[in-house]
Amino acid sequence: MTSVQETSVHERTSRFFEGIRTERRQIVTPEGVPIPIELANPGERITAFVLDLFIWLLLTLAIYIPIFSLIQYTGTSLIAVSIGLFIGFLVRNLYFVYFELAWRGATPGKRIVGLRVIDRNGGPLYPSAVVARNLTREVESFIPLGILMTGGRTAQGMIDWENLAIGAWLLFLTALPLINRNRMRGGDFIAGTMVIRLPKRALPGDLVERVTKYTFTEPQLRAYGAFELQVLEELLRHPDREGAERVLSEVCEKICRRIGWPKPVPPAETLAFLREFYTAERAFLEREQLYGKARADKHAAPKPPVDPNP
Amino acid sequence: MSLAETTAPPPAASPPRPEIVLKSSQFRKGREDGWRELETIVARVERRGIGALTLDELQRLPILYRAALSSLSVARAIALDRHLLLYLENLALRAFLVVYGPRLDPANGLREFFRRDLPQAVRAARWHILIAALALLAGIAAGFLLTVQDESWFSTLVPSALAGGRGPASTRADLLSKQIFAPWPGWVEAFGVFANMLFSHNTLVGIMTFGLGLAVGVPTIMLTVYQGLVLGAFIALHYNRDLTIDFLGWISIHGVTELGALILFAAGGLVIAEKILFPGRYGRLDNLMLHGRLAAQMAVGAVLMLFVAAILEGGFRQLVASTPLRYLIGFGVGGLWLAYFSLSGRRARS
Repeated sequence: MTSVQETSVHERTSRFFEGIRTERRQIVTPEGVPIPIELANPGERITAFVLDLFIWLLLTLAIYIPIFSLIQYTGTSLIAVSIGLFIGFLVRNLYFVYFELAWRGATPGKRIVGLRVIDRNGGPLYPSAVVARNLTREVESFIPLGILMTGGRTAQGMIDWENLAIGAWLLFLTALPLINRNRMRGGDFIAGTMVIRLPKRALPGDLVERVTKYTFTEPQLRAYGAFELQVLEELLRHPDREGAERVLSEVCEKICRRIGWPKPVPPAETLAFLREFYTAERAFLEREQLYGKARADKHAAPKPPVDPNP
Repeated sequence: MSLAETTAPPPAASPPRPEIVLKSSQFRKGREDGWRELETIVARVERRGIGALTLDELQRLPILYRAALSSLSVARAIALDRHLLLYLENLALRAFLVVYGPRLDPANGLREFFRRDLPQAVRAARWHILIAALALLAGIAAGFLLTVQDESWFSTLVPSALAGGRGPASTRADLLSKQIFAPWPGWVEAFGVFANMLFSHNTLVGIMTFGLGLAVGVPTIMLTVYQGLVLGAFIALHYNRDLTIDFLGWISIHGVTELGALILFAAGGLVIAEKILFPGRYGRLDNLMLHGRLAAQMAVGAVLMLFVAAILEGGFRQLVASTPLRYLIGFGVGGLWLAYFSLSGRRARS
């Protein structure tokens, strides 16, 4: 895993729309193709953890209720209680390991939120890594959680300073994901794993218009670069978003001014005009890129012509 | 052939209606079916596991995956459609995680773990185990020497919850009848409550010993020495009442396994600490990653040992009321652990 070094244009556009909400890294597949990944943010991870706790609670209840109703029925049986307690212990400690093994790096909570555990170097996620990253959960989450819930008090209601001190010390471990670059827990450090966001993206239709009404000249198309093109793409993909109509007409006006479009575009034609401009601009920029004259944005200086006899 | 072909409009048409053909659009049209097929397969695996695929789909998966990767590379070079790139990156990542995902099912993984990984990890950490054992011995010696001279040290070293009423005031008869040869409390009490509680408590202490290896190992050593101090104080208390042999027998039935587990936890913590302190050829993070799994495997083995120890302690300790038999069980089980860790998994992975 490395951080994304050269920022591609579509990365830049994504950042323009999404802000700095997502931290991006990249892994390189064994085939040698770099793939960007998005780190899960702390909020998502806490959400997933809370969901898992909830599901764990339901599971434990599902185990306890028959046992306790059995006790109601038979009256006695301390052994049922202790077996129940032991199963509770097992469920709590095996829940995360089991699901991360069986569901390839996702517990039910992670799956709902859309997170996955992966190997930091892009290798396979080994069972030992899964076990390792969940072994420290007790120290990192459950003990501080317990201390928080009791407020550091003993059974007699006294403030237990020793307990509080341990809690404060462990809270540092709990806060570890907030203070390191790759948002890793202690368990992630040991296991060499990290948690990423794995949304499912759909492939939307192509915006390209085949049959066009307007023609644009090369100097007109030279006014913009790939970044502007992709911003326009994003706007065109959501024409029914609130306020989109106003934004589109403003954008249309600006484009017309910049490229010196002779006559104003009627409001009803705005969307069609912009789509055609998008098509022409993309055709132009893609051809330029293929000829090694990629243009990142409108500020990119045109490359000086290559001197054949230096 | 240029990227954007502008064919001449039919002469009658006015205004001119040139037709634009983009290479990136053509490219997308040609490959889209393959991507969609891969997406369906990947989604199925994500939902129901790799077992949900038919033989045919299994054969198609790596081909489609490589095609998608190549599409991604081509798209990066020729296409400026941002959503196409995002889709391909996402699809490639999802397919990558499926194709290079873990091959082992949980049951198989467990078998491999106990047959090979765990004993190998333990053998690899023999020096750390030695250091942890020495720390424990030093603790025992110190606790013993302190308490043997002055029994007031006992109450300082041993927390009251652990002492269970034992202390400088205990008489020889008390210790014998209430602890060492106390009557069998019955199955429920012994296994259900006592063993359960012991296991949870010991596991917690052990995992902390291990986890605190992240704090460069000082707390790990301290905790280990402290456990030794407590044990040393107990030994001294019984030594002064001429009960050493009986006490050691009483404690060895589970103690050999339990102390073994404690040493493994501490050694695991020390492995982590060493890799943080002396990263060697790699960076600290990479080094931790390389060896952290070994350490964690040892900790899992230690949890297992604690489980066995809790059963021995909760059940057999009071059931077996003869000192020689207690020694036999305790050290017999210890010998089994030793044999398992030193002999299992020596052959190469088949």
